[in-house]
Amino acid sequence: MIKLEFSAKTNTSNEWKAIISAISTLVEEATFEATVEGVSFRGMDPSHVALIDISWPNSAFEKYSCDSDIKFGVRIDEFSKIIKRAEKSESVEINISEDSMLRVSIGKNKKYKMRLIESSVSDTPLPKITYDSKIALSSTGLDKILGDIEVVSDYLSIKTTSKNVEFSGKGDSGEAIINLEKDTEELEEISVTQESTGTYSLEYLNPIVKAMGGAAGSIICEFSSAKPLRIEFKVTNIGRIHFYLAPRVES
Amino acid sequence: MKISSNFSSSEIRKRIQSNWQEYLSKYGNLFTSDSISGSSPPSVFVGSYGYPKVGVGPMLPPIHGDTTLLDNPEQWLGKSLEEIVNFRLNLVRGVQKLTVENTQGRFIENLHEVAMSSRSIDSDLQFHKTTFPVTTIDGESPPFGPIGDIKSAKFSGGRAEKSIERVYYDHDLKAQDAVLTLYNSGIEISKIQKCFSVGMFGKKRKLVPTKWSITATDDIISKSLVSEVLEFDLIDSCRVFSHDHLGNMFSVILFPHRWIFEMLEAWHDGNNIGFGFDSEDARGIDHPPAIAGAYFAAKLGVAEYLAEKKIQAAVLVLREIRPEYAVPVGVWQIREAIRAAMKKEPYIAESFDDGTSFASKRMSVGKSEWLSRGRLLKMLKQKSISEFF
Repeated sequence: MIKLEFSAKTNTSNEWKAIISAISTLVEEATFEATVEGVSFRGMDPSHVALIDISWPNSAFEKYSCDSDIKFGVRIDEFSKIIKRAEKSESVEINISEDSMLRVSIGKNKKYKMRLIESSVSDTPLPKITYDSKIALSSTGLDKILGDIEVVSDYLSIKTTSKNVEFSGKGDSGEAIINLEKDTEELEEISVTQESTGTYSLEYLNPIVKAMGGAAGSIICEFSSAKPLRIEFKVTNIGRIHFYLAPRVES
Repeated sequence: MKISSNFSSSEIRKRIQSNWQEYLSKYGNLFTSDSISGSSPPSVFVGSYGYPKVGVGPMLPPIHGDTTLLDNPEQWLGKSLEEIVNFRLNLVRGVQKLTVENTQGRFIENLHEVAMSSRSIDSDLQFHKTTFPVTTIDGESPPFGPIGDIKSAKFSGGRAEKSIERVYYDHDLKAQDAVLTLYNSGIEISKIQKCFSVGMFGKKRKLVPTKWSITATDDIISKSLVSEVLEFDLIDSCRVFSHDHLGNMFSVILFPHRWIFEMLEAWHDGNNIGFGFDSEDARGIDHPPAIAGAYFAAKLGVAEYLAEKKIQAAVLVLREIRPEYAVPVGVWQIREAIRAAMKKEPYIAESFDDGTSFASKRMSVGKSEWLSRGRLLKMLKQKSISEFF
């Protein structure tokens, strides 16, 4: 009889799909941590420009048990292939027992075993920032804005006042500006304690916003001048998905 | 811009060529024959022309004995351009046309034995037609000796390098892992590359044209070294290393930053200077570099240094190709020059700015011109998330 160390079940496959596609924009190998409280992931891309912080509380699962804290490493492409075999409405249950294999049961009758990889030991801290500006908009809205800017630029500049937010980009061929006013349909929320301007690379923003587009309804962007941008993706049944992106600074 | 040189490229080529022709007036008959008998250094070559049906075969001089030096770039540092050109012109290349999937059969298995031998191998080749010595040298491509279509080939037994033999018989080992295993057990890169080219590694084996196999070997090894380097703490100072080699001036500037690698090249083209570059950050490079194999050869030399010292740095490599580099002799000259540079005492600069000034002072291209030709300054505008922890 195998003693279960860790087991977690969700009613649909959406949550895992969202998490895996978010992580896959940054790294090829990921180390998850499971504790009594839930599952978490935190990691940076190899160039240390972006960071993803995921916290998935036990209450969000259909069934959850974790006997002792455990770290497990997976190759994201292999894990992704398995999870993609699940229909939207199919449940996903993952188990880890003593033999360092990840067991994935999908729906009624699909059972996979996947070899775990060595988990990373380093603990990544979070950037310490006071955010001066906060805006909320739909994930599809942000995706469109990035597309509009990308036509002329590799970078997105965001500028806030108490009344509006201006997204802009500049490149060799010209400029683009998209202005969203407070109290309009496009801009769900804006709160600014100090007017802020930050510039961020589309090379990092585009993939994550595309990856989360389907799963996340709305998005909260927080930043301060010349400081990292934090994007919170609101995904049903996942506590927190935060994406941090370091700014580009003229110096 | 100051451009000064004692000799133009064509004068240098003319001098090497006339010395070679004088040599041929005495020994030309050795290269004019429908057969050759000599000791292969050992050396094998896979052409790229006609891919996937390519010319494959051994290279050997019409001399018997220990000829190792003739195809062993790791021993060439300090040799003159003329000596190296002569090494190459002395090697007669026998070829058979084979498709690249063809890695079995007696001929190719003989070549495997040649490639993994630790000493020169006596060889006899019969050609379909008489070969003639090469008498001219151009500045476009590395020089080669005569080429003959092989009618029959005989090789004496070599002494196989044990570590190569092990990966050769291991058909479950990926080609990439075979390269790394051999590198880590101290096998010279030029030897690993030869074995790679004649299809001795991996699960699905294939012949790989020599020029691609050189790039692939440098790429595999440097990538693996960089993945180690990414785990190390940042260097605590800005260091500048320099070395001049065969009319190439190299400077390597290391500075405290997560891994970035940029290589800039400048070459003299009449009264103008041409430029080329490519670069990567810790995510690696996802396209063939604009400056081709030079990029990986230099990256390898620098990554070896960082891995050995257990430090991480951002790297700017400057290479000025002067007219004295009249005959290109292959990317080994970059790999060995960078290795030589990294063995010297560095100049400790006050800042990246100071380091780049120091490095470009001795070159024909100034600091701001160099930097405007690359992407490094643009890359450095991107902050790192760990700066905000």
